[in-house]
Amino acid sequence: MSNLAVETENLSRRFGELEAVRNVNLRVDAGQFFGFLGPNGAGKSTTIKMLTGLLEPTSGRIRILGLDFVNNPVGLKSQIGVVPEGLALFDRLTGPEYLLFAGRMYGLDRITAAERAQELLDFMGLADRGKSLIVDYSHGMKKKLAMAAAVIHGPKVLFLDEPFEGVDAIAAGTLKAMLNRMIARGVTIFLTSHVLEIVEKLCSHVAIIHRGELVAQGSIDELRSGVAARHAEGQKLSLEQIFLDIVGGERAAVPELSWLE
Amino acid sequence: MAGMISAPGIQDQLRLVGWLRWRMFVNGLRIGSRKLELAVKIIMGAGIAVGALLWGPLMGLGCWYALSRNKPVIISIELWVVFGVWLVLPLVVTGFGAEANPVSLLRFPLRYSTFVLLAFAHGLFDPVALAAIYWLGCMVIGAAVASLGAALRAIPAFAALALLNLLLNRTIFTWLSRLLAQRRTREILGALFVLLMISFQLFGPLTQRYGKRAVPLLNHLSSAQNFLPPGMAASVLIEKDGGIALMEFAGLLAYCGLLGWALSVRLLSEYRGENLSEASRPAAGERSTVHAGWSFTGVPPTVAALFEKDLHYLLRNTTAYFTLLAPVIVVIFLSLNRPGPHARHPFLFNSSSMLYPMGIGYVLLTLFGFAYNNLGYDGAGVGMLLTAPIRFRDVMMSKNLLHIMIVAVEMIIVSVLVQFVAGPTPLLVVGVTLAGALWVMIANLAAGNLVSLYFPRKLQFGQMRRQKASGMAAAVTLGVQLPVMGLAVGAYLLSRWAGQLALCGAVFLVLAGAAWTGYRYVLNLVSDIAWKRRETLIQELSRTE
Repeated sequence: MSNLAVETENLSRRFGELEAVRNVNLRVDAGQFFGFLGPNGAGKSTTIKMLTGLLEPTSGRIRILGLDFVNNPVGLKSQIGVVPEGLALFDRLTGPEYLLFAGRMYGLDRITAAERAQELLDFMGLADRGKSLIVDYSHGMKKKLAMAAAVIHGPKVLFLDEPFEGVDAIAAGTLKAMLNRMIARGVTIFLTSHVLEIVEKLCSHVAIIHRGELVAQGSIDELRSGVAARHAEGQKLSLEQIFLDIVGGERAAVPELSWLE
Repeated sequence: MAGMISAPGIQDQLRLVGWLRWRMFVNGLRIGSRKLELAVKIIMGAGIAVGALLWGPLMGLGCWYALSRNKPVIISIELWVVFGVWLVLPLVVTGFGAEANPVSLLRFPLRYSTFVLLAFAHGLFDPVALAAIYWLGCMVIGAAVASLGAALRAIPAFAALALLNLLLNRTIFTWLSRLLAQRRTREILGALFVLLMISFQLFGPLTQRYGKRAVPLLNHLSSAQNFLPPGMAASVLIEKDGGIALMEFAGLLAYCGLLGWALSVRLLSEYRGENLSEASRPAAGERSTVHAGWSFTGVPPTVAALFEKDLHYLLRNTTAYFTLLAPVIVVIFLSLNRPGPHARHPFLFNSSSMLYPMGIGYVLLTLFGFAYNNLGYDGAGVGMLLTAPIRFRDVMMSKNLLHIMIVAVEMIIVSVLVQFVAGPTPLLVVGVTLAGALWVMIANLAAGNLVSLYFPRKLQFGQMRRQKASGMAAAVTLGVQLPVMGLAVGAYLLSRWAGQLALCGAVFLVLAGAAWTGYRYVLNLVSDIAWKRRETLIQELSRTE
C-alpha cells in the first residue's frame, strides 16, 4: 500500500489564457513536514486551493490519503485540516463559538467539540478574548484561531497557506510548537511560506514551483546537493540560497536606480 | 543620496488629486458591470438633473411672487427646502457608507490648505449641493425681477446660507466618518437610519389622523425658525428695518463662524492623523468557558450547529432587526389608513379579513428577500463550509429552517396585532391565508436556494448603503416573486369575491404540495451545484470592496 499522503498527477489549472499551474506532480509521504515554496505569483496558492478542494483543476489528478474529491469528497475533507489564504472565518462569531462550530462541522459531538475548543483557546492564548467577536480580533489572533479550527478534529493531513504571515514572534513560537507536536504524532503538514528561515527549521522536505511548474522536489539535503556544484566547495547552503539558485538565477545582476547615488 | 525635494504646490496637488479620481473612475469601467451601472446612473442622473433644472424657475417664481405680493412665508419655506435637501439628501444617498475622503491621501506630503480645499470640494461638487446653489441663484433672479434692492439683499444672504450649508454638510460628514470608523457605532447609526426611514412611512397617516390637533403646536414652533439659518436668511431679504436685517445677517455669519470652528477641529485632527482604527482593544476579564452547542431531536448535528451559527449571526445583525420590525409597522400603517365604514372601498381595508392576509403577505414579501441571497452574510466563511466534510444541502436546510422560524414568529406577531387593531379574523380566512403562506414560503425557499448559489453577493453588516444584489439575481427574484405572490393574491381576491374561499384554500394546499416536491428536488441538487460553483461562491462572498 502506498505511503503517500498527498499525490498529484499532471495537475494543471488554467485561468483563461494564463496557465497558472502546469503538470505538477507532487509526492508527499505520510508524516512529512513539507514546504511548498515559490516566488510571488508562481502558483503556490492555486495549487493549495486545488489540493484542498477550493478550486477545480483544469486537468490532472489529486489523491490525498488515497482519496479524491471526485469520488469521496466528504470522506476526504474529514481527514484534512485547512488554513486557507483568506482564513475563511465567520467573523461575527466569538472565538469559542467559531471553534465549537468548526468542531461540529467536522463531526465531533458537541461535548468533545466544547472541550477541545476550550483547550485550544487556552493553548493559543485566546481564552481571554472569549467574548469578543472575531471581526474585532487582530490579524495574528485571527490566524491562531484559524489554525485552531483546522486542527480541532485531529486531521491526518494539514494544509497551511502562509501560516506565519503577520504573526508575531511569540505567536509564531506557539504555532511552531503545535505543528512539531502534530508531526511527532504522524500528521502530514503541507505549508506554503515566504519565510524561508522558518521553512528550513521546520520542514524536512520541500518543493519549489516557478511560473506554474514544479522545478524542484525532495529533502532539503537533496536540493542542496543538487545546486552545490554551482557554489564554492564545502559551503553549507541555506534554503534561501538554494531557492534563489533555483528560481532567481536569471536575476543575477540587480539593476541600479539612477537617482540613488 | 539624492537631494531633498519640496512638496508640490497647492495647484499641483489639486490637479494630481483630480487626475487620481479620474483614473480611478476610468479604470473602474474595465469591469463590465460598472459600465452598465454607469449607463444606468447616466440615465437616472439625467432625469434627476432635468427635474432639478425645472424646479429652479419655480423657486425663482415663488421668490418673485412672495416679494411682489408681500407673502414672506413663501421665501422661508423655499429656503427651508434648500436647507433640508442640501443636508438630508447626501446623507440618504451615501446611506451612512463611507464617502470618498481626502484622509486616504494623507500618507503623501499633502499641505493642510490642500486638505481643507479637498474637503470643501467634496461638499461643493456634490450634485445635490450644485442643485441647491442653482435654486438659490434662481431665487436671486426672482428677487431681482421683483426689485433690485431685494436682489442686493438676497445675494449676501443666500451666499451666507450656502456657505453655512456647505460648512454644516462637511461638519456632519467629518463627524460621521469618525463615528463610522468603528464597527459598533457604525451599526448603531445604521440602525437609527433604518428606524428613521421606517418612521417616514408613518408620517402621512399620523398627520392625517392628528394633523388638526398639531396645528397650534406647529404655529408655536414656527416662531423659533426665525433663529435658525433659513429663517434668518429669509429675514435679511424681507425685513423692512435695515438694522434688524443687518442683525440677522450677522447672526448667519456667526453660525458660519461656529460651524467653521467645529469643522476645523475635525479637519485638523484628521490632518494630524488620529487613530480611528478598529484595532483590537485590550479586554480584561473576558475569559469565558466554551459551552456545548445546541442539539435538536431529529435534526442532524451539523444542521443544528449551522442553525445555531446562523441564529448568532441574525442576533448580531442590528440592521436586520429593523427588517423584522417592518411588517409590524406596516400593519400599524395599514390600520391607521383604514377608512370609516362609509368609505368607497371598504372591501380592502376595513376588515380584519383583508388586513390579516395583507399583513401576512407583507411579512412574506419582506422577509423572503433574504432567502434569495442566503449566503450573503457568511462572507469569507463560505470557504470553511466548502472545506468542511458536510453536504451543502445541510447548509441550505439550516438556513431554510431559520427562515421558516423567523417568518413563523413574524406571522404570529402580525396575527395578534391584526386581532388587536381590526378585531377577530374569521377562521376560514386564517386557514386560507396560512395555506397560501405555505405555498409562497416553500416556492420561495426552493427558488431562493438556487438563486443564492447562482448569483451570490456579499452583504455587509450594519451597512445601510444600498447593498446591491446582482442584476440577474434581482431579475430572477422578481420573476419568481411576482407570479407566486400574484397568484396567491389574485386567487384570494377572486375566491373572496365569488364566495369560494374554501376552494381557494384547497388550491393553495395543492400548490404547496407541488412546491414541496420542487423544494426537495432542489435540495437534492444544491450540494452538486455548490461544489461546481465553489470558485464563484468564494470569489463573490470574500470580496473586500
